[in-house]
Amino acid sequence: AVSMEQGAVPSCPPQCHCEEDGIMLSVDCSELGLSEVPANLSPLTAYLDLSMNNISELQPNTFHHMRFLGELRLSGNQLFRIPGEAFSGLYSLKILMLQNNQLRRIPAEALRDLPNLQSLRLDANLISLVPEKSFEGLPSLRHLWLDDNALTEIPVQALNNLPALQAMTLALNQIGHIPDYAFQNLSSLVVLHLHNNRIQSLGTNGFEGLHSLETLDLNYNELLEFPVAIRTLGRLQELGFHNNNIKAIPEKAFVGNPLLQTIHFYGNPIQFVGQSTFQFLPKLHTLSLNGATDIREFPDLKGTTSLEILTLTRAGIHLLPRGMCQQLPSLRVLELSHNQIEELPSFHRCQRLEEIGLQHNRVREIRADTFGQLMALRSIDLSWNCIHFIHPEAFVTLHSLTKLDLTDNRLVTLPLDGLGGLTHLKLQGNPALSEPFTKESFPKMRVLEVPYAYQCCAYGACSNFFKLSNQWEAEDMNPEDEDLHKRTVGFFPGHADNHYDLDIDDFQLELEESKLHPTVQCTPSPGPFKPCDHLF
Amino acid sequence: MHPNVSQGCQGGCATCSDYNGCLSCKPRLFFVLERIGMKQIGVCLSSCPSGYYGTRYPDINKCTKCKADCETCFTRNFCTKCKSGFYLYSGKCLENCPEGLETNNHTMECTSIVH
Amino acid sequence: AQKAIIRVIPLKVEPITLEGVFANVAEVTPAEGKLLQFHPLSLCNTSEDEHTESGFITIVKLERPDRDLHPCLSLANKAKLAGERGARAILFDITDDKTAADQLRKPRGLSQPVVLIWGHDAELLMGVVNKNREAHVKIEVKEPPAWPDYDVWIL
Repeated sequence: AVSMEQGAVPSCPPQCHCEEDGIMLSVDCSELGLSEVPANLSPLTAYLDLSMNNISELQPNTFHHMRFLGELRLSGNQLFRIPGEAFSGLYSLKILMLQNNQLRRIPAEALRDLPNLQSLRLDANLISLVPEKSFEGLPSLRHLWLDDNALTEIPVQALNNLPALQAMTLALNQIGHIPDYAFQNLSSLVVLHLHNNRIQSLGTNGFEGLHSLETLDLNYNELLEFPVAIRTLGRLQELGFHNNNIKAIPEKAFVGNPLLQTIHFYGNPIQFVGQSTFQFLPKLHTLSLNGATDIREFPDLKGTTSLEILTLTRAGIHLLPRGMCQQLPSLRVLELSHNQIEELPSFHRCQRLEEIGLQHNRVREIRADTFGQLMALRSIDLSWNCIHFIHPEAFVTLHSLTKLDLTDNRLVTLPLDGLGGLTHLKLQGNPALSEPFTKESFPKMRVLEVPYAYQCCAYGACSNFFKLSNQWEAEDMNPEDEDLHKRTVGFFPGHADNHYDLDIDDFQLELEESKLHPTVQCTPSPGPFKPCDHLF
Repeated sequence: MHPNVSQGCQGGCATCSDYNGCLSCKPRLFFVLERIGMKQIGVCLSSCPSGYYGTRYPDINKCTKCKADCETCFTRNFCTKCKSGFYLYSGKCLENCPEGLETNNHTMECTSIVH
Repeated sequence: AQKAIIRVIPLKVEPITLEGVFANVAEVTPAEGKLLQFHPLSLCNTSEDEHTESGFITIVKLERPDRDLHPCLSLANKAKLAGERGARAILFDITDDKTAADQLRKPRGLSQPVVLIWGHDAELLMGVVNKNREAHVKIEVKEPPAWPDYDVWIL
């Protein structure tokens, strides 16, 4: 493409930036403060960008001579209506962008004769009215954006004759209900976004006819019941209904959706899930459920063999089935915190396990075969349990283990075999665990939390006080966990006003130097009142 | 230089500064980080740049990258125009067309075989 | 706090030497690389990682706190994210955000050094950035004066 400013080519409108691509012309007149479409636009214009100006009106037949125009951008202007003949003559137009304007209804008359239009953007307007014949003249339409408008219902009639439509978003509107057969002629639709509406109810045949649908986004709505209408969506792969008001997911909920790969449903007050709800979903790789207190038993996941991440927290599970790993050969992350599990099966068949989260349960012991043969296991969190015994060979085969959290248990001793690769170890809250440790036991240690200060002395001099943050959380700190608004201003006492010039000598922070082995953060820190020598 | 009084403040900004460009956008515009050589500034647009798709939320409008083989897309998993060397079929970019379809090298799409 | 010497070597222009301070959130180590400016909002989990080649020195001009009331991450985590995205060191211009130093005081063991710069030194550095002139940066540890180190014991 050859670039040129206005003047080089007579048909490049003033201030615009034009590029020649063969005999065709790309014209960029965006962000110039224009109040109307420039005159004398070349008939050989293939691309015209008039976005982010102040155009409030289009004249009929403005683009009538532009037979080769393929893309017209009018987004970010002040258009509140579009006359019937505005786009006449644009037989080659494929992409029309009208988003971020002030339209209150679909400009049906203007869209009457655009035989090749594929993408139509009408998002971020004020549209509340969709006339029945809005899209009659658009036989090739594939992508339709109507999100961020003022629709209160699905424009069923207008959507009745769009055989080529493949992707549509009606998100960020005020739609409250999806009637039966709302989308019945959209047989080519692959993606349907309805997030951030007010959908409370859904006809049981609401999604009839959507034979090609692969992605359905119902997030951030007000659904009270599980959308059983999805049963007709045989090709569905991605389903989202998180942040709704659904209390139960029934048995056979997904029996009609064998191709499901992801289901997002957090942010629902789900109390009950059927024992076999998530069976026979061979493509599903993530299943996460939090707070479903009515769940008493571990779900039957027969036929859901690709599951990699299973999160089932804050439920009432007290027993893990012996054969659970046979159903979950691909499992990488198992997160079962905040349940009532007392006894652990052997996880040895979960060969790909990398992370196990069992904090806040009632586990009492760890046997030799509990974590046997788990070569990929990197992290185990067993904090807040009742563990009083760990078999000496419990960790022997865990060659990848780097993080072990045994905070707040009843340990008397810790078997060290297999723990040589640890970088993070947490043992606080085990009052009977008084044995000292040696640096040699944990050559790669970086963060160590132990019951007593003297157990830190193996990692450096004990002469100074020091305050160290809790490195484990600090390193993996979630933005939400942090209280970001605790900012202290004025760390220069004595500077009353706000404007001061920072000078390097003024910049003396009161900081206690840490004299510990620079790479190991060990707490609680020893000191004069927590000496290195065990008092007795 | 005092923020807001600057040449770099683009029309779509709600707040901006000389060094960082837009810090926040006027309603309903997409916030995009643009790198020009060593500098990176914020800009506010009515549509995401090529290679990105927009998602509108009540509090923010975000631009996210399309897949590597896709030039323009509706969502990450639904392409509307593939990069050269790929054929578009039902939102996917394929190196070869599925059985029963033929390649159209003009539109770079897989189309039904016309007998 | 450990002082830092920042040598900025723009292409075809006289180098300049500036001074800053190492923040305790990270290790105090020298570093060097190509200077790249990052918008404060680019260091968020939700923002796209540009996949820039690693080995650069990040410079972030922090805005007044009241202009970013809901920061996506703490400055410590932004520094961590910059390191994860390939930065060899992170320079924060804190001229307009005096609270930054306080946020970056708690040791977190980040491996890429974090250097705070402000005032006239920052203005010179941002001048190079604003001219969008490619520049190489060397960060060195300025040796503190040799003072004896006494430990005091309360007996």
